[in-house]
Amino acid sequence: MEQRTILHLDMDAFFASVEQRDSPELRGLPVIIAHPTELRGVVSTCSYEARRFGVHSAMPTSQAKRLCPNGVFIAPDHRKYSAVSKQMMAILARYTPLIEKLSVDEAFLDVTGCERLFGDGVTMARRIKEDISRELNLTASVGISYNKFLAKLASDLEKPDGLVPITPSDLETRVHPLPISRLWGVGQKSAEQLTRLGLRTIGDVAQMNVTRMRTYLGSLADHIYLLANGRDERPVQPNREAKSIGQETTFAEDVRDVVFLETTLLGQVEKVARRLRQSGFEARTVTLKLRYAPWQTITRNHTFAHPTDLETPLYTAVKGLLAKCGLSREDAIRLIGVTVGNLVPKGTVEEQTQQLSLFDAPTPTVETDPRQQELSRVVDSLKDKFGDKILTRARLVRREEE
Amino acid sequence: MKIIILKNALVQAIQNVHKAVSSKSTIPVLSGIKMAADESGLRFTATDLEIGIETLVPTLIDDEEIVQVKEAGAIVLSARFFGEIVRKLPGKTVEIEVKQNYLTIIRSGKTEYNLHGLDHEEFPRLPQVAGNQVFSVQSDILKDMIRQTSLAVSSEEIRPVLTGVLFTLKNGNLKFVATDSHRLATRESIVEAPPEMEFTNVIVPGKSLNELGRLLADNDVLVDVVVAENQVLVKMGHTQFYTRLIDGQYPDISRIIPTTFKTGLTVNTKELQGAVERASLVAKESDNNVVRFNIKHDRLEITSASPDAGKMSEPIDEIQVNGDELLIAFNSKFFMDALRVIDSPDLLIEFTGSMSPFLIKLPDNPTYLHLILPVRIY
Repeated sequence: MEQRTILHLDMDAFFASVEQRDSPELRGLPVIIAHPTELRGVVSTCSYEARRFGVHSAMPTSQAKRLCPNGVFIAPDHRKYSAVSKQMMAILARYTPLIEKLSVDEAFLDVTGCERLFGDGVTMARRIKEDISRELNLTASVGISYNKFLAKLASDLEKPDGLVPITPSDLETRVHPLPISRLWGVGQKSAEQLTRLGLRTIGDVAQMNVTRMRTYLGSLADHIYLLANGRDERPVQPNREAKSIGQETTFAEDVRDVVFLETTLLGQVEKVARRLRQSGFEARTVTLKLRYAPWQTITRNHTFAHPTDLETPLYTAVKGLLAKCGLSREDAIRLIGVTVGNLVPKGTVEEQTQQLSLFDAPTPTVETDPRQQELSRVVDSLKDKFGDKILTRARLVRREEE
Repeated sequence: MKIIILKNALVQAIQNVHKAVSSKSTIPVLSGIKMAADESGLRFTATDLEIGIETLVPTLIDDEEIVQVKEAGAIVLSARFFGEIVRKLPGKTVEIEVKQNYLTIIRSGKTEYNLHGLDHEEFPRLPQVAGNQVFSVQSDILKDMIRQTSLAVSSEEIRPVLTGVLFTLKNGNLKFVATDSHRLATRESIVEAPPEMEFTNVIVPGKSLNELGRLLADNDVLVDVVVAENQVLVKMGHTQFYTRLIDGQYPDISRIIPTTFKTGLTVNTKELQGAVERASLVAKESDNNVVRFNIKHDRLEITSASPDAGKMSEPIDEIQVNGDELLIAFNSKFFMDALRVIDSPDLLIEFTGSMSPFLIKLPDNPTYLHLILPVRIY
């Protein structure tokens, strides 16, 4: 395969930068995007000024307030960010149609073969940065390399406003000294395990004995070995849709009441299922996320035999997952959330059959119960016409009034 | 005990009772066949405690001597050895003599066997079926009723009552119902019964009925059926058949059978049978053997498909359709089972929607009905 040219673009402190751009008085100040009133929420993004105080995204808001008492806390305005994101993606589209949008402020571009038009990867990256700076008054960091892993790694090396190429000859000097946690697919747990095995840097992984490590790490060994040696064949997949749809709620007070948790889940499932249907996808898996008061977070998955976009099977599944967590009265829950993943376009899955029975009631959680589908279709059309508040489940009514 | 019997009569008698011999009982005597000789002839009995069969070989049939009883008595012989041996015996007659310690000598031609028998006193007595609940039915009709319904019994023990065929009698009308909850077969017949005789919820094990069906002759001789508290006795000439009944309440099926329909079609049995059979060849067994009917106003299209094998379609134009067009999917095995026991040249099929049971009826025989639940595709 010919060598590709992949760009990874990541906006710098995106939400915070947009706010600072739109409100000049915020410039130079530590701006923290988080619900100011929801002390128990987490930080979405913060400006580089705030990062100097040790604040980072996903940190509890209360902790951010302690670290940076003079910070400017701003509630996120997702509509605005999404509009800016669209403008940014439009700029990228001038250079290549092969754009894989990773999130609102991040994308891969495969610019292989565009050199004649726009110059080499570095030139193109510079032009894109200039466009974004001139038209949006924002800065981005871009990594240029020959695969996705290295491009993404590069964009992060000199943030903000970075422009870092990684060529095959840079691998040893620039990549190998980096810690293993920079490897794609290596989380905190795997990192600990690798460290115990004596692997600290990407260079260590690149030289490890794969056969031996396979016995400890399984398939992860091959995966990281290839990455560490600069091999990553994953293509840039344009028009990629959301990988998951989720909803989570952080409670103002820790919750010990399972029924209340279930009701919360039901509300979340309703929203998730509606978004799922709007996107035209069906989900194969549903994940329950629970955060206990001591900030311990667990997730539990359920995989459906047949993908679904309906409330009933989703709710039955997450309720079952919650029951499996075996919450006792001592367990206080701080956050609960539902995410659906493994999305597949609706109607693309091979059909399934079910023999009907005279005496046994049909299983209530069939992933594609035609009557449920019809119900959801009617509910959706009502909500489309009159707004989301027009119809809800009786069980959720009191909560919304409160 | 000492007797001489015609070999053919002996072979036939063993064959009659053989089906009741227990194949996996822990009680040794149940793996045997009991023979008891007295002045009336030689009586053969076998039972697995679920069913019991008793057949008498009389001393004389039409003045021909069949059995000569020289000394009355009884013995139990292993069905496996006894059956095999008797079939291979060289002579026209067989002499059976029981000596001490149940040692049994079997002589035929120049052959002599010495078999170890078992004490007949240990052999369970067949229940004395008392009761005046007796009705009479032609052997061939009873046989047909069994054939047309027993295929629909459930093979799963989760709901024991569904492993049996429900017998009901009212106003001289005998009705059989069997269902495994995915399909249901019913057959009725007028029988000779006392006018006041009536019963419901008599559940006869399907397996027992299959054995009974084998014993029943294809003629119009009347057989007597005695219905008692927990067993049924069927008397056919010199042979009697007992079966235990299944405890429990049979589900109410009166509201299950639709009385109206939205789509009705009349079609040639053989043509449809062939088409469904051909369609089933590419249907996936693990996926309910799904075959579809696409019913239009003037034609019926039979289709099936499986991702691995491929697909099939076959139209039948020579049909009569009343009512709505319909697309329905069903298990082709159930359909073929139903057609296998139908002798009418034409079929009437009545549908009430793609998620509702459909009925197979016979235009020339209103006493038969077969219901099949469709398969939901999602």
